[in-house]
Amino acid sequence: MTGLRETEYNTEEKVKLPGTTQNRKSMKEKEQTSKKRFIRWQDLSLTTKVLEEVLMVTMIIFVVNLVMYLQVNRMVSSMSQVYVSNVSLGELSETLDEVQNSTYSYLQLKTSESLERYYRSAEDYQELLSELNQKVMENPVKLLEKNIRAMSETYLAETDASVTYKRGRNVEKYRESFEKAQQVYRYLNSSIYDLNNYQFHNNSENFTRLQATLRSVALFSLTLIVIMMSVGCLMLYFMVRGVVSPLTNLAITAKYVGEGDFNVKMPQNDSLDEVGVMTRAFNTMVSSLEDYVNLTRENLEKERILKEKELLMEAHLKEAQLKYLQSQINPHFLFNSLNAGAQLAMMEDAEKTSIFLEHMADFFRYNVKKGDEDATMEEEIESVENYIYILNVRFAGDIHYSKDIDETVSGVRMPSMILQPLVENAVNHGIRNIEWEGRIHLSVKKDEDKILIRVRDNGKGMTEEEILRVNAGFRAAHAAGNGNENGREGSTVSGLQDTGDSTGIGLSNVKSRLELYYGCQNLLEINSPGEDQGTEVMIRIPAASAYQESDEIQALPGEIQA
Amino acid sequence: MQRRKPVRIEIVLMIFSVIIFGVFLVLILTYYGRVLKAAGYKEEELNHVYGYQYEMIVDNRNSTLWNEVYEKAKAEAAENDALLSLRVSDANTEYDKTDYVDMCIDSKADGIILEYNGEPGLTEKINEAAEQGIPVVTIMNDPSWSSRQSYVGVNEYQMGQAYGEQVARLINEDTKDILILSNREPELEKNQLYSRIYNAVSDRTGGEKNIHVREQNLISKSQFDVEEAVRNIFQSSDGPPEMIICLDEVTTVCAYQAMIDFNMVGEVSIIGYDASETILEAVEKGLIPVTFAMDAGQIAEYSIEALTEYREIGRSNAYYTVDLNVITSQDSMNDMTS
Repeated sequence: MTGLRETEYNTEEKVKLPGTTQNRKSMKEKEQTSKKRFIRWQDLSLTTKVLEEVLMVTMIIFVVNLVMYLQVNRMVSSMSQVYVSNVSLGELSETLDEVQNSTYSYLQLKTSESLERYYRSAEDYQELLSELNQKVMENPVKLLEKNIRAMSETYLAETDASVTYKRGRNVEKYRESFEKAQQVYRYLNSSIYDLNNYQFHNNSENFTRLQATLRSVALFSLTLIVIMMSVGCLMLYFMVRGVVSPLTNLAITAKYVGEGDFNVKMPQNDSLDEVGVMTRAFNTMVSSLEDYVNLTRENLEKERILKEKELLMEAHLKEAQLKYLQSQINPHFLFNSLNAGAQLAMMEDAEKTSIFLEHMADFFRYNVKKGDEDATMEEEIESVENYIYILNVRFAGDIHYSKDIDETVSGVRMPSMILQPLVENAVNHGIRNIEWEGRIHLSVKKDEDKILIRVRDNGKGMTEEEILRVNAGFRAAHAAGNGNENGREGSTVSGLQDTGDSTGIGLSNVKSRLELYYGCQNLLEINSPGEDQGTEVMIRIPAASAYQESDEIQALPGEIQA
Repeated sequence: MQRRKPVRIEIVLMIFSVIIFGVFLVLILTYYGRVLKAAGYKEEELNHVYGYQYEMIVDNRNSTLWNEVYEKAKAEAAENDALLSLRVSDANTEYDKTDYVDMCIDSKADGIILEYNGEPGLTEKINEAAEQGIPVVTIMNDPSWSSRQSYVGVNEYQMGQAYGEQVARLINEDTKDILILSNREPELEKNQLYSRIYNAVSDRTGGEKNIHVREQNLISKSQFDVEEAVRNIFQSSDGPPEMIICLDEVTTVCAYQAMIDFNMVGEVSIIGYDASETILEAVEKGLIPVTFAMDAGQIAEYSIEALTEYREIGRSNAYYTVDLNVITSQDSMNDMTS
């Protein structure tokens, strides 16, 4: 399971995701091959597809209509042919009359005009006769036709004979022939009449049948056309749906993507039409979008972590500041007062008091000033020295302070108020109340990529258990939210009760701020050879990071302050 | 596993539409074809072509018999590649038999079967037909003096004999008058028939009783006139004769009907002719004691045989004798052969 979800559509298949170079390449090759072979249906453009489909359905309906039209036409023409035989018979009868009349006229008048009429009508009659049946058939119509034809031949023979005899002036013969012709003429008329009746009867029946058939065929045709049109519309609907459905699917998928689900992809499509092109482009776009969004997400995550770190640091600083402010009410008033005191001492020639007050003023000014920003190593050391001086005044020079500073690192920036709390810790929990001479040694060395700051005392020292407990205290403080520790936790570190004259910043706070500032753990380490053997608190500052961090923080003082 | 490609619905619809169209087309064409066939355009049977054309010319005095003869003769003719047409001369047609024979000659028929009844000019037409090479077979009566090719009918002597026998059988004490209703031209008077009846009557009475045998010719009468004439006989002041001998179907039916109408069943004995349904029914009921009937099958068979023989070998028998069936009230049927 890749975790990708494909939108499933009715007839689509699950496919590999396109987008890789290999896929695109193979698809391109496939397209070229298929182009070479033939143009497939799915390669036609949407316009062509819809046009062809509409044409196809129209053609089907057209063919149906055409066939129906031809069929009805055929029937109508059959109907119009029904009475043609009667019409022909009428013509036959008229021509026969003409033959008879012209014969009579010639025999009576012997004019060349009547003779000509006779020959012409006899010829016409012969021609009409040739259309009649001459075979013996059971069909009464056909049989009558045959009889009429045969009788007509007899008749024409007789009229011919009478005309010939008339021309030869054979009176007896032409009369005899004409009488015979007259008799046959009567028979013929009677037979034609019979035939006409027969045919009319048959034709009327046929006409009625055809009329009924025509109505049925028309109804049939109408039904068929309605059915075919319905089926045609249905076909068109499904065809157009076939063309449009990939677009619909694309729209649905696009909606998912729009809602932020990049795991949906359109099924692979190798068609060369607009939908195919769009589908591939869409899939590529979704892939790119996903990469971009992932990148953005990572960046945001990084930014968030950074922000969080900054906020945390700020919180620590605020906390430190707050604690400081809690313990130092109106420090400016104090500085001014101290300065006023120093000046007063100076005027009264109390030099030591003046120096003491200056140191005190510097110390507290530093605390107030650097409370919300970082400081250089030099400033930190100066603050420690001020602090020691004040203590030595307070405790009559009981604290022997020494230092070993690598001057190359004096400009290194570091979080403010880091060293003073360590020294304060060494004084309060290390060398206070010892029976021997208390010493505190501060050393700052550069060791390859690190700067090592050590605050060592020769005080009470710590057992292994105490060190473990203090470290556990760090972790507990860290888990509790980093920002909640106070000076008391600092006292806990050395296992002593706070005496009440602390600056208020504990070791835990120092450790947390260092870690936040440098972005790495275990920067503070407590070592002690054992009870009454002194304690050393060592801070490891990564040299490169120290320079870099100090630059960055300098660049964003406002943010940190905020 | 390769998934089977689903059939596209539009293709299914297209096939469906083609099938529907095809079915409709076939239905319409079949229907139209049937209509045309019914209309007689395709009547193969009726359009069968025959090699020869025969004509049968009769009058309507014995329509039942002639219809039967015609049907059989037609079938017989068809077997011999000939088509037989029937022309019936009656009061409804403007033509008599002479005209019909004339028409047959003019339309170049290949043979004529003619019920000869002595009509004027008919003999000449028979001769004319013979001159034109058209054989004429006469039935019922024999104009032996004409050029007719053959005669198919009952031997006159045997016929007289059969009639005589039946007359003799039916004569009883009350019989005083016997009337023969003939349907022939006077020139065709059948002396044999009359003489055999006279003889039979004489033989039966032994000369002791005077039975008057007379004859009335109804040939000139039209169909309605026959009925009137028969009714007149029944209404005559002397009363109807005790025995009436009819020589055709129409006369028999008219006499029978008059007998019933005038309530003279039992008083008048009718010797009938032909075996139509009405007559047979009457015989069965005993209202008509006896009727004579020619064998229709034999007439048909012999007539066509004569024409076919003439066609094939240029000659045929001059006489074909047909059986005369006697049908009595006992439903017995005896063959009287010549």
